[in-house]
Amino acid sequence: MRLSSFLQSDNFSGWAFILPYLIAFVPLLLWPFFQGFWMSMHEWNLLAVTFNPSAKEFIGAGNYVRLMGADNLGWSLQPMWPFRLIVTALIIALYVRSLRGKTADGISHHFIAGIAVFTTVVLLGLTGDWYDTRFWIVVRNTLVFVAWVVPVTTTIALLLAIALNREGRWAATLRSVFFFSQILSVTVVTLIWQLVYGARNGFIANLLAPFGIESPNWLTDDQLAMGAIVAATVWWSVGFALILFLAGLQQIPGERLEAATLDGAEGWRKIIQIIVPSIIRTVQFVMIMQIVLHFQVFGQSQLMTQGGPGDATNVWVRYIYQTAFRDSEVGYASAMATVLFAFMMLFSLIQFWVTKRQES
Amino acid sequence: MNQHALPRWVVIVVTLAAVVWLIPVLWMVSLSLQPNDLLSRTTANTFLGLVPVPFTLDNFQAILSIGDTPRWFLNSMLVAGSSTFLVLVTSTMAGYAFARIRFTGRSIVYPLVLAGLMVPEQVVFIPLYVMFADWNAHNSLPTLALPRVALPIGVFLMTQFFKDIPDSLEEAARLEGCGHGRIFWSIMLPLAKPMMMTLAIITFLYSWNDYLWPLVSAQRTDFFTITVGLAKIQGNFAQSQGLGQLMASGVLASLPVIILFLIFQKYILRGIALSTDK
Repeated sequence: MRLSSFLQSDNFSGWAFILPYLIAFVPLLLWPFFQGFWMSMHEWNLLAVTFNPSAKEFIGAGNYVRLMGADNLGWSLQPMWPFRLIVTALIIALYVRSLRGKTADGISHHFIAGIAVFTTVVLLGLTGDWYDTRFWIVVRNTLVFVAWVVPVTTTIALLLAIALNREGRWAATLRSVFFFSQILSVTVVTLIWQLVYGARNGFIANLLAPFGIESPNWLTDDQLAMGAIVAATVWWSVGFALILFLAGLQQIPGERLEAATLDGAEGWRKIIQIIVPSIIRTVQFVMIMQIVLHFQVFGQSQLMTQGGPGDATNVWVRYIYQTAFRDSEVGYASAMATVLFAFMMLFSLIQFWVTKRQES
Repeated sequence: MNQHALPRWVVIVVTLAAVVWLIPVLWMVSLSLQPNDLLSRTTANTFLGLVPVPFTLDNFQAILSIGDTPRWFLNSMLVAGSSTFLVLVTSTMAGYAFARIRFTGRSIVYPLVLAGLMVPEQVVFIPLYVMFADWNAHNSLPTLALPRVALPIGVFLMTQFFKDIPDSLEEAARLEGCGHGRIFWSIMLPLAKPMMMTLAIITFLYSWNDYLWPLVSAQRTDFFTITVGLAKIQGNFAQSQGLGQLMASGVLASLPVIILFLIFQKYILRGIALSTDK
């Protein structure tokens, strides 16, 4: 009798219903997460540990110290530094001005200023060697990648969303077209784009041939390779941002657009003055989502350029992958993964904090 | 929806952009339908190669009869299919419990599961690799499929869904003495069908397209999924026997997701909108 009433109880049912999921969740997500942190505190060579399980050595923060490359710390002014200084100063000045104008909506301005400074510093500023360990090169490459992909994707997707936010077959078809590339796997995307960029038989080369222009070798030129990867990634990921922007635009009350049109706001002015401020939260959200997502870039670099030429397109996750599976240093690789996670958490926290501030 | 007419130049620019957007995929499909010996000379035969003239199905016939491609395709089907099935079972059950059963420990376990949403594959793949290696479990289909079942996104979606179902629907069954098993099976699951459909499609898509985990876990070619297999053959890009066959493999690798996209586009869009709505 007592057993059957226990079997009927909410406590038993609750745990019985979540048990199948927990059987997957605990060993395959929760445990590896902490295990990764634990591994990052060891000198842990995959091959050595396979033959002798006690071959791992606890070194505490040793891997992190190695990662930060403190003994190779270097700093130098980059080429064109006065120009970079002026651009950064200009952005800060604009930011201060916008703060004075609208304090109520200040948080969006903080955000925009943050992104702008981030973009400026990465793109225009610290393009030289920060530190001379490889890790910092791949971190810089990842930042450059994110700093290009996110603003470009966001801008294209936002403009498309504004144009395609309407009924009718034309808009519906085009929405599908732009979204379509999103569903392809990274291996298919890189397959297609490798061929598009091909120096001999590539699509771009074919296009240029009648004009007698020889196509540059997009993927093996250290000036062009990163741009080529960025372009392919933008092609791949615009659809995702587009869908989220369309969802955001649906929330704008029609009267507001109506009123703006009656007031004579047209074209660009309407976009900038009415539409963008109305969905500024969606824009922030989509940008943060993309930053977190694109920090994890791997396939494009691994498959299109193998990180090359040199390390010109090597990225964070690919370096983790190489360190763990080519050099067998899983402890050191775990430390890199932990730092990557901290970075992504930082952006998620910013998002959380921004939404919180806006709601209150 | 905005009802005002767009200026004509905007319509033209956006339409052109859409055409440009489609060209890479069209080109891949078109090249896969042209003879290999032609492609070794030129990839711009008719209209920059965008029209498959001369037309042939030899490339598809070749990859389906020789080589590992059919095997990889089957592996992907089995891996994506089984992880989708398991995700559906575990997350509808857990979602129901988190949303509608008051049990001791719920307030601790559910936030923990939600925190798992923040952990990307790239952060846990090394410990996962080491763990499965300890169990000697690499190069097997369950190992390829299982880590996806642990991802909390399905539980999150189903919990949100079940939370919104009004209590009145459950009340009557309660009074008749139905237990949670009965309510779950005969009341909740039928209601959840559209949501389960959405979850199934996006899980299948992500699983089919997954690259990092099968890359580290499957070392033997007969356990490759189609994504890893395709990556492997494009590695020998320059000396590959035929561009046409390579492109045909790409088309084949995309076929299931393209079919899903054409039939279930609405569900996919909804799935993306919901799963980002944390």
